[in-house]
Amino acid sequence: MDYAAVVLSGPVLRGIAILVPWFAAALSAVYRKQTRAVGFGASLIAAVASALLLKGAPSGQSLYEALMLLFSGLTLAATLVLPKRDCTPATISGILFLLGATLLAYSSENLLVLLGAWVLSIIPFFLERWFRSSAWRPRFGLLLSSVALGSAILLIAASTHAISIDQLRGQNPGGMTAFGLLVTAVIFRKGVCPAHAWVADAAEGGPAIPTALLLNGHFGALLVAKLIVPLFPKTAGNLFPVLSYLAIATALYVAIRALTENSPRRLIAFLALSQSACILAGLESRTSEGITGALVHWFVVTVSTLGLLGIVRLLEVRFGENLTASKHLGLGEHAPRLAVSFAIFGLALVGLPGTLSFCSQDLLIHGTLTSHPLTGLLLPIATAMNAVSVFRLFTRLFLGKRRTGFTVMADALPRERWILALGVLFVVLGGLFPNIIVAQRSADASTVEPGRTFSAR
Amino acid sequence: MNSSQAALVFVVSAPGVVFGLFGLLWLLGWVPSERFLSRVTGITFSACLAALAVLLWALSSSGAGAIIVKFGNWFSVGDYHFPLLLMADRLSLPFLALTVVLSGLIGQFSATYLHREPGFLRFFLLLHLFAFGSLIAFAAASFDLLAAGWELVGITSVLLIAFFHQRPSPVENGLRVFGVYRASDIGLLVAIFAMHHWAGTASFTDGIPALTGAQAVMVCLLLLLAAAGKAAQIPFSGWLPRAMEGPTPSSAIFYGAISIHAGAYLLLRAQPLLAQARTAAALVVVVGLVTAIHGTIVGRASADAKTSLAFASLAQVGLVFVEIGIGLKWIAITHILGHAVVRTLQFLRAPSMLHDYHQMHAAIGDEPASESGQLEDVLPERTRLWLYRWALDRGHLDTILDRWVIHPLTQLSRLFAKLDNFGLTQVAKPGGETLILNPARPEGD
Repeated sequence: MDYAAVVLSGPVLRGIAILVPWFAAALSAVYRKQTRAVGFGASLIAAVASALLLKGAPSGQSLYEALMLLFSGLTLAATLVLPKRDCTPATISGILFLLGATLLAYSSENLLVLLGAWVLSIIPFFLERWFRSSAWRPRFGLLLSSVALGSAILLIAASTHAISIDQLRGQNPGGMTAFGLLVTAVIFRKGVCPAHAWVADAAEGGPAIPTALLLNGHFGALLVAKLIVPLFPKTAGNLFPVLSYLAIATALYVAIRALTENSPRRLIAFLALSQSACILAGLESRTSEGITGALVHWFVVTVSTLGLLGIVRLLEVRFGENLTASKHLGLGEHAPRLAVSFAIFGLALVGLPGTLSFCSQDLLIHGTLTSHPLTGLLLPIATAMNAVSVFRLFTRLFLGKRRTGFTVMADALPRERWILALGVLFVVLGGLFPNIIVAQRSADASTVEPGRTFSAR
Repeated sequence: MNSSQAALVFVVSAPGVVFGLFGLLWLLGWVPSERFLSRVTGITFSACLAALAVLLWALSSSGAGAIIVKFGNWFSVGDYHFPLLLMADRLSLPFLALTVVLSGLIGQFSATYLHREPGFLRFFLLLHLFAFGSLIAFAAASFDLLAAGWELVGITSVLLIAFFHQRPSPVENGLRVFGVYRASDIGLLVAIFAMHHWAGTASFTDGIPALTGAQAVMVCLLLLLAAAGKAAQIPFSGWLPRAMEGPTPSSAIFYGAISIHAGAYLLLRAQPLLAQARTAAALVVVVGLVTAIHGTIVGRASADAKTSLAFASLAQVGLVFVEIGIGLKWIAITHILGHAVVRTLQFLRAPSMLHDYHQMHAAIGDEPASESGQLEDVLPERTRLWLYRWALDRGHLDTILDRWVIHPLTQLSRLFAKLDNFGLTQVAKPGGETLILNPARPEGD
């Protein structure tokens, strides 16, 4: 028996990627020592398993493997960038639990498994000892999204007696009601307007880095790519533009909302919401450019927002929690490398040339302009406003008169510096040589909408 | 790749490589000495100049219209491609030469001017990034790549306005300029997408993309929006005096020479389209003419040397727009080159203006003759007073922008905030007003 082949087979690697983090989460909660090492080790194993899965995946069918690698990489970064005082057994075990649930959702090929993963991923945000937010809206939003998804899956299962996603492909299972419930689940989970407020509350009232991981799972977009478009091709063709209009409305609404927001965490949450709403618009565009742009943008938004929220948390730990964008704090003099990283992540989020988001936004706008000209025209306006908000936050946090009154504060520590540098390299090198990522995502675009002959014009 | 193509690639990429290398080394903890940095800058731009000479020689000896370098597609999806093409032709070469020469000169000037300034390294890094962005914009053979360079010029411009970041006003002015740039850049982006949509390409290696009359008008109007924003033409002129907060060398190269003329370059590139779209060309003339008059009047009421020079620049660029709109392409290019060089010199001498004045005074042994016979003397007293007030408020452009754009957006944003928090008894805490040392509590425990 070839043990190597067994270990390197898809199901085993998937099992390792999902179960090792859960086991480590339990270990971390019980053992309560060497928590960072446990978290790092488990997420590293998950990342390696995901990388092997990606390597073995056939061309054009590697979207979810790539997302698994991305999310385990993000978790790996999070375990290193977590400030010492936040690196508690509870935080690490919660992060690892979230990692396992998210990877399960990405790799699920079954409606019930997807529902289970969806529910598991939100559990840490309901428990006081994990990441429960002080505000009620995050719990309400997450709960409603789960109820909507659960109802939709129940309806589909009852009407078709099937729960395999592959079997249900193109069958319009459950009809309009199931479709409506799935769209409702997307709206609440993704924070699409008018259900957007919980995202900012979660970022403000909950722990920064785990919340960034929750948002960066992009379960709403996953539901669109995994269920709504493949299962409801006809209904989606006719009614899906509504979600696209809601997405662009969200992008504009929160972009305007961010213009006067002074809380750095809320502001970054609004920016993340606005930029990630573009992902939905791209997925719905039904053009190869739009879908590819959306998938590439998914990568950029996750890395950038984790970087931004991570840096804000590092600043809070060093300079106090009441950071504000209402005045110039002049922290750049104390932490120049954090300032430069923040600027790069921020500008990468809004499409600075030379970063990966320049390419993703270019594709997104091309795609949406082809299918929905109005959406295509409004996207650059939302992005322009987001750019102003990012730059405002950067200037308020890092520029201004040097602060006195405290002793020398450390700039990025070596472990933080390396992780931030890796993130910066990803968005910059990805922007300089985008074809590696764009070509893969372009091939994967057919995973979202198989059987469609993509043509831009 | 032959020698002339290699020379073009070298010219465009050298400042970018220097920026990337020094930036990376700084991130890893190494800070170069001022002398080393200024020498590397000098060598880089001298080498670029030599490469440009090779390029010019190759172009003139071969008799070819342009040297084109094709790197293939930067990225492509389906039918859509983002071509990576560089081109040196009779239009781009003067701009490339201007950028290289003036960047080198500014580098040498700044080595003394900014000696022991805390932001010495930052300035030089941004100078290289700016040169890289400008060279990409001028050597691009497609509007897609031009937009990439265009954005880099914008961001470096803003970061240099906020160079003296210890004071709040440069930072706030930088933010304002950034907002205007981003708003007007929407025009460029949408124009490019429209070209792709209608013509299937935004490349101009084989001539400008073929568009119908109405499409050409639409694209030209969008390009005019972008050009007007970058060149501070009406109604965007309000940002230019704010940009004077940056160090004098950067003001010289950005607002006396390169950045301020980038809008004119964009319109020159789109000249065949403008010739097709008479309405848009007429609008270019009107915008240029109104800006020239605006710049002349407001410049006369400016109290400081740099602002006065900025408005003088504005007036000249307005005239360049008029020339482009009329179709006088080569006069416009000559005008730009002459204006850029003279204005850079004036900006660089601005800090020594009093010294120059005293030297002149000593040389002639008397007060220099004051100017007389101003044109406004022919106007009635009331009109002159009204014009003076109008000029003092810089044509009320900032007031209009504040009242009709920024204020409504701010109000809308606050209304959205109220809607978001409707029904909440306990609103999430806003950012604190003061920075105090309250240690952050552990999260998730």
